[in-house]
Amino acid sequence: MVAEFHEGDALLSVVKHITQEQINLYAHASGDFNPIHVDESFAANTPLGGTIAHGMLVMAYVSEMMTLAFGRSWLSGGKLSVRFKAPARPGDTLTVEGRIDSIEGKNGVSYANCSLECHNQRDEAIVAGEATVKLLEE
Amino acid sequence: MVTTYEELVPGYEFPPARYELPSSLISEYLKAVDNPSELKIFEEFVPPLAVGACALAAMSESLSLPPGSIHASQEFEFFQLVPVGATIHCHAKVARKLSRGKMRMLVLEIDVFDESKEKVQSGKATVMLPG
Repeated sequence: MVAEFHEGDALLSVVKHITQEQINLYAHASGDFNPIHVDESFAANTPLGGTIAHGMLVMAYVSEMMTLAFGRSWLSGGKLSVRFKAPARPGDTLTVEGRIDSIEGKNGVSYANCSLECHNQRDEAIVAGEATVKLLEE
Repeated sequence: MVTTYEELVPGYEFPPARYELPSSLISEYLKAVDNPSELKIFEEFVPPLAVGACALAAMSESLSLPPGSIHASQEFEFFQLVPVGATIHCHAKVARKLSRGKMRMLVLEIDVFDESKEKVQSGKATVMLPG
């Protein structure tokens, strides 16, 4: 697997359309019914001005991109750090992109260090972060 | 017992929670995150962010934050695959509590273990509370 990856490689991007229905489904699946996500009248009267997607929903899209790229290596040897820079709102189309910045060896194990970003259709950054994956030997 | 932000102190440990992860729950999660059909691996293993969501849900059951609290940042480290149908044990504690003027933030650490007490995941969540 190590030979499959190279510094500078772009990861296959993931594109998702956010709807209130999707946010509601995520609320049910996760048990997170914070009204900022599911109560449109409450959210309209906050500084955010409307409902926003759960940060963990957007983060799931980041993890999807990493799973598509690295498979089991990600699921059992991945490390992810993200900052939520702006809210994702119903109607947004999000694109998650990533790149392998470096591959380094530590104690005989190779690790891929990736930079990540998720932006909306106006090219506003929604999430920025970094991920490290322990690469399985061939 | 439900704890409020004001009552929390760094080092406070939330009551541990146990979650079963049956295929019905994972199917619901996969639908909610619009999982692509080619990711067949999740027929066998739980998506790591679903494990993380359970850990955060476990914490929120005993923590009352004001409506409008939002997630500012999140870290996760995945150590082991979690098979669909497994049971996990979630532990969470307050790492830091910040309050400056109107801004209030909470940094929470989570650890998730399997039935054999092996750590499967750890994480750190930063939550921003409305002023």
